[in-house]
Amino acid sequence: MDDGLPLLKGTLDLLVLKTLSWGPLHGYAIATWLEERSEGTLGVDDSALYQALQRMEGRGLLAAEWGTTDNNRRARYYKLTAAGRRRLREESATWMRYTQSVSSILSLASRTV
Amino acid sequence: MRDAPKYRRLFELRLGGARRSALEMDLEIESHIAMRIADLVRQGLTPEAARIAALARFGNFDAARARLQAGAYQRDRMLSQRDRLGVVLADLRYAVRQARRTPGFVAAVVVTLALGIGANTAMFSIVDRLLFRAPTMLRHPSLSHRIYLADAYRGQTSYSAYIPYARYIDFTKSTTAFSRFAQVNEIGMAIGAGADTRQVQVGVVTASFFDFFDAPPALGRYYTPTEDRPPNGAPVVVLSYGLWQTAYGGARDVLGAPIQIGATTYSIIGVAPRGFVGLWPDSPPAAFVPLAAYAPEISARMLGSGDRWWTTYNFTWAKVIAERKPNVSVATAAADLSRAYERSYQEAMSTAAGRQPLSVDRPGAIVASIISERGPNESSTAKVATWISGVAVIVWLIACANVANLLLARALRRRREIAVRLALGVSRARLASQLLTESLLLSLGGGVIGVAVAQWGGVLLRSHFLSSSARPAVATDGPTLLYAGAAALLAGLLADLAPMLQTRRADLVDPLKAGVREGTCQRSRLRGALLVFQGALSVVLLVGAGLFVRSLRAVNEVPLGYDATHLLTVDLSMRGVSLDSAQNIALRQRLIEAAESHPDVTSATRQLSVPFLSHWAVQLYVPGIDSVARLGQFELNAVSSEYFKTMGTRILAGRAIGPADRDGSPQVMVVSQAMAKMLWPGRNPIGQCVRVQADTLPCTYVVGVAEDIKVRELDNDPGLFYYLSAAQFHPDAGGLFVRTRRPANEVQADIRTHLQRVMPGTSYVEVWPMSELVGEQSRSWRLGATMFVVFGALALLIAAIGLYSAVAYNVAQRTHELGVRAALGARMQDLTRLVVRETMQVTLLGVALGTAIALVAAPWVAPLLFRESPRDPWVFGVVAGVVFVVAAIASVLPAQRAARADPMWALRSD
Repeated sequence: MDDGLPLLKGTLDLLVLKTLSWGPLHGYAIATWLEERSEGTLGVDDSALYQALQRMEGRGLLAAEWGTTDNNRRARYYKLTAAGRRRLREESATWMRYTQSVSSILSLASRTV
Repeated sequence: MRDAPKYRRLFELRLGGARRSALEMDLEIESHIAMRIADLVRQGLTPEAARIAALARFGNFDAARARLQAGAYQRDRMLSQRDRLGVVLADLRYAVRQARRTPGFVAAVVVTLALGIGANTAMFSIVDRLLFRAPTMLRHPSLSHRIYLADAYRGQTSYSAYIPYARYIDFTKSTTAFSRFAQVNEIGMAIGAGADTRQVQVGVVTASFFDFFDAPPALGRYYTPTEDRPPNGAPVVVLSYGLWQTAYGGARDVLGAPIQIGATTYSIIGVAPRGFVGLWPDSPPAAFVPLAAYAPEISARMLGSGDRWWTTYNFTWAKVIAERKPNVSVATAAADLSRAYERSYQEAMSTAAGRQPLSVDRPGAIVASIISERGPNESSTAKVATWISGVAVIVWLIACANVANLLLARALRRRREIAVRLALGVSRARLASQLLTESLLLSLGGGVIGVAVAQWGGVLLRSHFLSSSARPAVATDGPTLLYAGAAALLAGLLADLAPMLQTRRADLVDPLKAGVREGTCQRSRLRGALLVFQGALSVVLLVGAGLFVRSLRAVNEVPLGYDATHLLTVDLSMRGVSLDSAQNIALRQRLIEAAESHPDVTSATRQLSVPFLSHWAVQLYVPGIDSVARLGQFELNAVSSEYFKTMGTRILAGRAIGPADRDGSPQVMVVSQAMAKMLWPGRNPIGQCVRVQADTLPCTYVVGVAEDIKVRELDNDPGLFYYLSAAQFHPDAGGLFVRTRRPANEVQADIRTHLQRVMPGTSYVEVWPMSELVGEQSRSWRLGATMFVVFGALALLIAAIGLYSAVAYNVAQRTHELGVRAALGARMQDLTRLVVRETMQVTLLGVALGTAIALVAAPWVAPLLFRESPRDPWVFGVVAGVVFVVAAIASVLPAQRAARADPMWALRSD
């Protein structure tokens, strides 16, 4: 479990940033949005999600303020800051390049074995 | 545990922050779980099952909650730090925007501050070098001292840095407060041989000298105490890094090579590290030789044959430095040294006759700073530098007052803006920090440009104060930059004080009700006071400048009794050559002929003494006078027939020394006017008999009277001077005076080379313009005059900028009022007069206050002046006139603008 965390953490941050790129959301909405988009393949631990939110807010990637949901419930809404938007651009580019090279190597390897 | 409540409060505060974060986190988790339960219930779960499932999504819920609460606190702390930084950045952005909107205002403030800070920084870099910078590489700067001996002579205590070697040895033996002593001197010597002979500075130091420094040799080694032992030491030399590079190209095989320095051939044993200058940063020695190896050379020239240089107490030519033990105070060390001096003094009394008893001389010793300029025998340069630093601080104060005034004017103009912001709920603290940011930004700008000003103006200052220094002329070292920064910061804070107070008083309602016009139209009493203050300080500085200029003029107008501008003095150094008396006479004759053959020379003469440099006096016996010595010190020169023509000294009666006054013909002398009056009041001096040196010798007859000359000081020189024929008195000694067609300093080098051809073997001539020796006498006044004028002008410039901007600002604010006046029939000149009159009132107050301050300060300035009253009405009058003229000029432009005030515009704008 410990071994898998660093990759998961980086990935989670990126996914949260992506989630918020359409507009402000509260924590629960982010969690459900991620579950629906990944069709259940990404089981996001709630406490890990909030830790990620705290971390990114502390670094200035996100900003948060209290607001009211459609059901009249008070919730903390997160949105991207300019720095967060920049980070999302950079990280997704890196991620795409990374996955492309890894998958191209893997597909090559499967032919020669 | 007295501090317990304080700690507890601190702890609670931290807990409070953490608790608030935890509470917020709980709310967030709660809302998250509630939403999930709602979703799950909608999917068909029972509320109880949904609740369990929702909690399970957090894993171990209690642990996760605690972790999240801690994380929330962490996040909030980071955010609040970011907030504070954000506030500062916002203030900065606002300040920059504000500055961009008012470029004229910013320029006035920055230029004023730059001048004030620049003047101070430049002076600081000089004073720092003169008074605060210990020699580099010194191992323990705070423990290293120069030793001075204090002697009471005729009721006055004088301090001598020159200490006999024997006494130095006594000190090393009978003191306990010091860990080491060294005896040191720096002496100009000829180095090299033949045509390559150069005059360089050589450190003559005991072997212990090098222990004071943390400076391992770059090559070879330093000499040891055994190589520095009386009577002759060992002829070994340590080269400076510079000489090693220039003369030997840094070759490593120089060790053991011979080099001629002075009369001795030394063997090179080492090279000092790069940058090692010993105690002489301004004239770094080219080499270091053992004191015991050089002492025989100088003692042979100056000491009787019976005395040995290392045991006599009558031969002083070197100084002493000492390193105090770390646990001993300066006072204890001085007492210890004084006791040693008393013992040594009694020792000396037993060996030498004719000494004053201990009770009369009251010998004492001083353990002074290693930096010689810090006294007790500081130079006039150091004194003037200290004074000018004070002056620079005044200039800085004027600049601060000026900037305060400008900021205040702006604060008044912005009263409405400030009131609006206060009304919108901006806190006063927030507003104050905003204003402070603005003025600090301005002072920072002033500081940066100020350093540039210091850099540029500093070159000029340093050429005056550190003219003889070999150190580079830049002012961007750490301490200087630090000082500039501090000066800028302090100026910013000081200048911001007045507007800040204004903000605190700022009333919410009045400016809002009144609108721009009336809100700003009020005259500020504080601003008027600042203008008066500036004017007064400028007056004080200008009076100082005037007094120094008058002093300098008085110095320059002192009749010397000779013309120094076209005069060279020639000294002979008979290094390594010993001539008998006849050969010496012949050599001097050849030199005269060589000099006269040079196209730039009009005449040349023999001399035995040089004013302000060397002095001769012997016993005189005059028939009818009991003790001539009681009347004063009679000094002499031995000259040849062209002397008076060469010097430009007039013969007032009788004749000059002539070619006929040879060895064997009757002895003759020419006396000065003062001497004639002193010895033969009311009688004709021509033909009088004076017996020179002994009353048994034949008469020397007075054949002429010459005008008085200055030989020791410019003021109060008694002028008791006489001239003998060089052919009759010490014909084999002395040098030359040469009168030149062109200014002496222009032909100095050429004539030196020309005369050098006559010199035998390794002997050589040194040639100096006489004006340098005389100039040294007026140096402190020249320095004072130049610096006071520069800084006085600077102060006046800053005050003028201040006055101009204040008046201009006032006029701009009063456009409406002036327009109304114009509409009511006021003519152009009426409006101009109105503005100028108000400026003149402020100026008058400033001049009055400044004059009063200058009059009160007069007694302190008096000792610095030369034949000039510190209350010279002429100076005060001119200064007042200048200040009024400048004030008038500064107010004319705004006044003209006032005169053009358009009544229509004023009325329409309402």
